[in-house]
Amino acid sequence: MSTSSDNRPAPMRLLDPSVLGAMSNLELVAKAVVEGFVIGLHRSPKFGFSQEFVEYRQYADGDDPRYIDWNVYARSDRTVIKRFKGETNSHLMLLLDTSASMGFGSGDTSKLQYGKYLGASLAYLAARQHDAVGVMLFDNEVKEYRPPASKPGSLQGVIHTLDDAQASEGTDINQPMTRFREHIKKRGLVAVISDFYCDAQELMENIRPLALHGQDVIMFHLLDKDELTPEIKQSTLYEDMETGQAIEVEPAFMQKAYRDKIQKHIASIEEAANGIRADHILLDTSEPLDKALHNYLTFREKRG
Amino acid sequence: MALLGPIFLLGLLGIGLPLWLHRLETQVTEREPFATAMFLEPAKKRIHVQRKLKYLLLMALRILFFVLLVLAFTRPVFFAPPQAVITEETTHHVIVVDTSFSMQTEDRFNQAMAAVRSIIADMETDDVVSLYSASSNISTIVSMTGNSDDIDQALDSLEAGNGKLDLGNMISSLNTMIEESQANFVLHVVSDFQQTGQAVRFADMIPDVINGRPITLDIERVASDNTANWAVDSVLVTTVDTIEVGIRGYAQEDSERSISLSINEEVQQESQVTLDADGMTFVTFSNVIFAEGDNRIDIRMTPNDALAGDDLRYTVFDNSPPAPVMLLTEDEASLGVTYITAALETAPRGYEVILQNISDLDPRVLQRYPWVVIEDIGTINASLATAITDYVNGGGAVLTAAGESALGLSSIPVLDLEVGSTPLTRESRNPITMIDSSHPALGESSGWGSVNVQALPLEAGDDDNILVAQSNEQPVLLERQIGRGRFMLLATALDNTLSDLPVKPVFVTFMAETARYLSNENLLIREQVAESFLQLGVAGGASGQVYDPDGESLLSLADTTQAQDISLDKTGYYQVFTPSGEVLVAVNPDRRESDLTIMDAQVLQNWQNVVAGTARPDEQRLNDGTVSQTQELEEREIWRLFLFLLVIIVIAESILGNQHLRVKTGTL
Repeated sequence: MSTSSDNRPAPMRLLDPSVLGAMSNLELVAKAVVEGFVIGLHRSPKFGFSQEFVEYRQYADGDDPRYIDWNVYARSDRTVIKRFKGETNSHLMLLLDTSASMGFGSGDTSKLQYGKYLGASLAYLAARQHDAVGVMLFDNEVKEYRPPASKPGSLQGVIHTLDDAQASEGTDINQPMTRFREHIKKRGLVAVISDFYCDAQELMENIRPLALHGQDVIMFHLLDKDELTPEIKQSTLYEDMETGQAIEVEPAFMQKAYRDKIQKHIASIEEAANGIRADHILLDTSEPLDKALHNYLTFREKRG
Repeated sequence: MALLGPIFLLGLLGIGLPLWLHRLETQVTEREPFATAMFLEPAKKRIHVQRKLKYLLLMALRILFFVLLVLAFTRPVFFAPPQAVITEETTHHVIVVDTSFSMQTEDRFNQAMAAVRSIIADMETDDVVSLYSASSNISTIVSMTGNSDDIDQALDSLEAGNGKLDLGNMISSLNTMIEESQANFVLHVVSDFQQTGQAVRFADMIPDVINGRPITLDIERVASDNTANWAVDSVLVTTVDTIEVGIRGYAQEDSERSISLSINEEVQQESQVTLDADGMTFVTFSNVIFAEGDNRIDIRMTPNDALAGDDLRYTVFDNSPPAPVMLLTEDEASLGVTYITAALETAPRGYEVILQNISDLDPRVLQRYPWVVIEDIGTINASLATAITDYVNGGGAVLTAAGESALGLSSIPVLDLEVGSTPLTRESRNPITMIDSSHPALGESSGWGSVNVQALPLEAGDDDNILVAQSNEQPVLLERQIGRGRFMLLATALDNTLSDLPVKPVFVTFMAETARYLSNENLLIREQVAESFLQLGVAGGASGQVYDPDGESLLSLADTTQAQDISLDKTGYYQVFTPSGEVLVAVNPDRRESDLTIMDAQVLQNWQNVVAGTARPDEQRLNDGTVSQTQELEEREIWRLFLFLLVIIVIAESILGNQHLRVKTGTL
C-alpha cells in the first residue's frame, strides 16, 4: 500500500497493485504503469525508448498503416514501414488464466486482478513499441480469444477483453493450449499469466509445441503472499476454490510442510519452463508490477 | 398450565438465546476459501468436526435446559396405562405355588416348578400372569405381567419353606391381593393338597368374584397318593433327668428307627424302637444330664423317611435354678401363705419363696429381690410403706393382696387410693367379667370367668391400669407404674375368705405369669412354629438382637432399639438377646404338615365345580356397573424427574463448556 513514507516518485508508486486497485479503468491503469515504468527506465542506461531510425521493412498485413513511409512509396512505389530503435515489430499474445483459483487474494488485489494489470500493462507496452497484441482468456477451455493485431483500437480491444475477465471454472491447460496452437500462425511472444496449479509435466507437454513452433514463451507465475508463506494461528478449514473440497489444516503444517510443497511445485514449473527454453517469472501479487515489466523487457531484449 | 399457555410459550422463547449465541459462534468456524487444495493435507484429528459436534452438543444441552425448565413449571403429568392392557378377552393366570413344609417331601417341589412352567408355556400371547407363593402367609412373587420370562426367572429363587398351608387362608389372602381387572381369571393352585390344609369351612375356599369375571380353578396336584411318614411330635422333660419323646406315625406299616438324644449338640443317648404305623410311639430317655440355663434338646430319627425335615425336633429346656422371691406376711402359717407358696413353687420356671415376717423386716433386704409379694397390704405401716415406695421407685416390683387387715383402711398405702365404705361380706362375691388379656401377666390365663371375688371398693386413679374387674365395675387387679418399678394390687384376699381365686386352676397360671412379668424375665414362648412371628415387644418391653439358626443377625443396629416382630422362617434355634439376658427359641414345622394324607379327589372336583359357578352373567355385571368400558389411566407427576434431569444437564453443560474453552485457548 502507498504511504506517506513511500519516497518513490508518483508515477513509480502507480506500479504498486494496491494503488492501482483504486483505478477503475484498466486502460488508465496500463498507461499509468507503463508511463511510470518508462520514466524509471529513462534513468537506466540499458533500455531506451528513443525514436532513432534503424531500417525500413516491407509492409505486412496487420501493420499499422500510420507507420508507412509515404515518401518511399512515392519514390519507389513500395510500401515500407519505418522501424525505429526499440521496436521489434513482433506479436505479443497474452494468455490469461481465469480459473477460479485466480480469484484468490489475501489483500485487496486478487491474482486475476493482478494478472489483468500485468496483461494490460504488457499490452500497452507492446503497443507503444508497435507490436501486435492479442489475448486469450482460458480456464479449462478457451473463454475469449482476440488474435494479435496492431490496428488502431486493437489495444483497447485487448484491454477491454482483459477487463471483462471473471474467475470461474477450474484449470485444464491441455484443451486451451491445443486450441491456441491451432490459431497462432506467426512467430512471436507468448506471455502466459497463471498460477499454474497444474502438473508440471503436463504443462511442459502443452508449452513445448509452442516453443517448437518458434514462439518465445514467458510464464508469469502469479501467487499470493498467503499462498507462498501462509500464516495461521489455529486449525482452519480451507475450501478449494475450484473443486470445493474442504480440508482442515493445522498451523504447523502450513508453517513447514505446505511451504516445502509449494516451493517444490514452483521449482518443478521453473524446471519445466527451462526445459523448453521458456522464461519463468514468479510474481508475488503483493509486489509492484515493475519486476514483471522489467523481466518482460529483458526477455524481449534477449529474444531480439 | 397447558402447553399452549402464553407464559409457557413465552418461556420457550428462551430457546432462542442458545440458538443465537451458537449461531454467532459457528460463524467463526466457517470455511475459508483457498486457491487450491493440491498441497494441503488434512489434520490428523478432525478438530473442526469435533469442535462442531461439541458446539452442537452444547447447544442441544442448553436448549434442553430451557425446555425442561419451562416444562417443569407446567407441572406435567404422565397418564400411564396399567402395566398390561387388560380387556375382557384377556386371561389372567393367577398361579399359586404351595411352598409349605410338606412340599419338601421327595421331589414334590420340583414337580410343582415343572407344572408352573408348563402353565406358562401354554399361555396365549395376550394373557397376563401373576405368581404367588402360599405357605403360612401368601407372598406376591411376581405382580401381574405379560412377560412370562419374569415368572421363569422368579421360579429359580423359589423353594419350599417350613410353614403350614391352609387353603381357606390362602383364598382369603388372595381375595385382597389379586389386582382388579376385566380379565377372565384362571386360578392355578399348584400343591400336594394335604388333607390338613383343607379349610375348616368349605365356603372359605371359594374366591371372591372380581368384577364379575369368570374364575376357573385349575388344580395342579403334585402328589397322587398318601406317602408314609413319621415325625418327632413331642419332647417333654418330665423330671429333672427324664425326657419323654413322642413319635407320630402316618403310615400303613410299622417301622424300625433309631432315635437319638442330643443335649447342646452332644449325643447322650440312642435307642432302637419300632414305631407304630398310625399313632404315637413314646420313647423315654432317663438319666439325662442338663447344663444350667437353656439347654438345646435335639431328637433325631434315622434313617430319614420321605419328609426328612420332621425327623428332627428342636426343644429348649430351661434348667436355671429357682429364682428367690420374698413373701411378706404377718403370719407365716396363714392359708394365704400356703396358696402363694404352692403356686410359685409349682410354676414352670420354679421359684424359691423366702418367708419374711413384716414385723422383723429390715427394709434394706428388699433390694436383694427383683420383686416381692405382700400377703396383705393392710399389714404394712407407714414407714414400711415409704420403704416399699422407695423400693419400687428404684425399679423393684410388688404384688400385694388386700386381706382382712385392709378392710379397715381408708386408703391403700403406697398407692394412696381411697377405699369405699361398702361393707364386705362373704355373700357379696361377684364374678369376674373383664380381663385385659393383652397384659403379659394375663396372656395365657384362662378360667377367670369362674372366679368369684369380694373386692375392696376402690376408686382407681388415672395412673392405674385396671387389668381385671368385676361385673359391678369394681377393679380386682390393677397396676401402677411408680418410678422405674411396678406395683400390682389384687383388691381381694388370697386366703379363700373373700375370694375363691386361690382354689381355682387359673391361680397357678396367674401367679406364674405375674412372677415372670414382675421379675422381668423373658416372656418369649420358647417353642414356636415355623413362619410364625417372634414378638420382641413382649420380651421386657425392649428389643434386642436376634440371630437365626444359621447365626445370621436379623436386625440392623437401628432396629435393635425398638420392638420388632421377627418372622421365624427357619427351623432350629433362634438366639434372642434382650436386656434381661440371652434366650433360646426352638422353631419346628407345624405338626399338621407331617401328615401327608392328601385330599380326596372328589373334594377337589367339588371345589372346582363350585368356583366355576360363581361368575355372574355379563348382563348382570353391566347392570350393576361392575364392568367399566374404559380403563382408568394413572396420573403421575413427572416434574421432579425434570428437575433431576436439569441438574444433570447443568453439570454436563459445565463440563462440556469448560472443555471447549480449554481447546480454544490451546490453539491460540
